[in-house]
This record gives sequence, C-alpha cells and structure tokens, in this order.
Amino acid sequence: MSEMSREDLLDVVRRVYEERDPVPEGLVARMQAAAALEASDIDGELLGLMELVERSEELVGARGTATYTLRFVHGDTDLLVRVAVDDGRSRIDGWVVPPEPMTVRAGEHAATVTDTGRFELTGLPLGLLRLSLEPHDIARPAFSTPTFEI
Amino acid sequence: MAASRPTGRVATGAKAPPDRLWVDAGQAFERWGAGDPSGLDDLVALMTPVLWHVVRAYRLPQDVAEDVVQTTWLALVRRRTTIADATAVGGWLTTTARREAWRVSKAGQHATPTPDDELAARLPSGRSAEADAVENDDRHRLWAAVDALPERCRRLLRVVAFERRPDYQSLASDLDMPVGSIGPTRGRCLAKLRVALVQAGGI
Repeated sequence: MSEMSREDLLDVVRRVYEERDPVPEGLVARMQAAAALEASDIDGELLGLMELVERSEELVGARGTATYTLRFVHGDTDLLVRVAVDDGRSRIDGWVVPPEPMTVRAGEHAATVTDTGRFELTGLPLGLLRLSLEPHDIARPAFSTPTFEI
Repeated sequence: MAASRPTGRVATGAKAPPDRLWVDAGQAFERWGAGDPSGLDDLVALMTPVLWHVVRAYRLPQDVAEDVVQTTWLALVRRRTTIADATAVGGWLTTTARREAWRVSKAGQHATPTPDDELAARLPSGRSAEADAVENDDRHRLWAAVDALPERCRRLLRVVAFERRPDYQSLASDLDMPVGSIGPTRGRCLAKLRVALVQAGGI
C-alpha cells in the first residue's frame, strides 16, 4: 500500500474545506459586478495618468551630459524628478509631495519612496521611460507619468 | 485488502489540475488587458474560490472575508497596469488577498472564532441512503483528521493547498512565522495529517 503523497494530502485539505466552508452562493457574481464597475470607473480616469506641468530648460553639457527637471501632477500628488545623464549613465532623483509610502517603478528598476518623499533610481537605460507610482495603500489607485525621454 | 482508503477517492476529477488554473487565470487576464471585458469576468470566476479559502484561513467572519476578497479584486483593477507578467496574476491575487486578510485580522481582531465545527456541512444527496452513508463516513473521517490538526497547521495547509505555490517570504510574515520554518512546518503538518488519516482508519 502506498503512502499518500504530498499532493494527495493537500487534495484532502482542499476537499475538506470545499465541502465544509464552500464559497458563498452568489459571491462570484457579486465580485464580477464589483470588478466590472470599478473597471469602468478606472477607464474613465484614463488609468491615472499624471500630467506634465513643468519642464526645466535642458542644461546640456559636454560629451552627452544633461540635467533637467520635470514636474508631474495627479490629483493631490506632485512629483518632481531631476534627471541627470552623464556619459551614458543616468540617474533620477524624485520627490513626491505629499510624501506617501509607495513603490516607483521604471521597467525593471524599482525604488521605495522614503518618509520624506524622496526616491532615486540609478543605472536606467537611456531612451523612453515612464515611471509608475504604486501607493502601498492598495485602496489607492496606481498612476504613472507620461512617457518621457532620458 | 484495504480497498476503501481515501487515496483513491481523493483525486477529484471535477477540479481542474492545479497548474491549469494558473494558466487559465493568466490567459483570462491577458484577454482582459487586450480589451475583452469577459476576460475579467472569467478571471474573477476562476480565482474567487481560491481567494475565499485563502482569506478564510485567517478565520475572518464571512462578511469580513467577502470584503477582503472584494478589496483584492478592486486592487487588481486599479493596479492592472503594474502587473507586467500575465502568468503572475494568480500569485499577485493570492498574495494581495493574504496580506489584506492579515491586515484586517490584526486591525479589527475579527479573528474570533468561526470554529470549524460550526461550519455548515453540505452533503450531497440524491443517491441511495446506503451510498450516502458510506460516502459520509469517508467524509467525516477526512474532516476529523483535518480537525485534529493544530490551528496553525490547519491555517498553513489551507493556504498552501489553495494557493498551490505560495511565496514563502510573504507567507511567513502573514502567518507570523520565520521564513525558514515554513517548509519544515508544512512538512510536519502534512506528516500529522497523514498519521491522523491512518488513525481515523482512512488508510
């Protein structure tokens, strides 16, 4: 007689709970309705796209160095980023006002906003980029900047 | 010959195999991302049962558990653009639900009892009483074996069983366990369950 495998045992656990604590009737339909409603609201908000409200003069230095600032706004959140490119290497310093715990992503790169609202991203590839801001409070929607070039 | 041990009955053909569910969820998410609203409906239908069981492992009352599941779906809709890899959507959902369940259970101390023995038993009918009796006997043996497990084993195994491949790092913090102990604890809990099944005469 073979011993029950791990999968057999987990299957027992699944079966027991499916029988004793089944998904409430109508829950799936209620969740479908809630999700669809939220999706239609979000579509109306254009997926939380930030607006570029200010762009500093581009300071172009020797041999492909450049520094400039961009300011984006979305709702009550202000985002100021300072982009510095030096000899093919890039660095972004950001300030989020008011400060809020969130994760900022740029492609594969990610940074966490500090208590003072600052974050930094380094070693970003040159080219087109957009920053997405994901508040740690999941009740808040994520939003992102329009695409810009570094 | 031990002909009627649960091993043979355990494999329920009715359920899709584990991996299939995650693949289907990823494809539904992709369809939704491509502009097909039925993709979202399908994703919700596929994953809501999984989320339910993961959240209920935190012993939240039904209405609170439903709220947590709903919060998870709303978060998905709001965050959909941040999930770059469609195949990861199942893990994203279960992790988010678990985190929210943990947060709510800490915040409200709702986690007072929904003792398992208060949960309604739903047994199928429509077959002969004798077949039902045999079937019920088997079921009760399985239930008793799971009930005999310590509370933290029940919670961990329920999450692992429905979440299939939970991320140990987040699981550890949500279950208030050191990350290194999840694997060994799971092993011990499964061993206890195996013993309980044997003792219950199941094997």
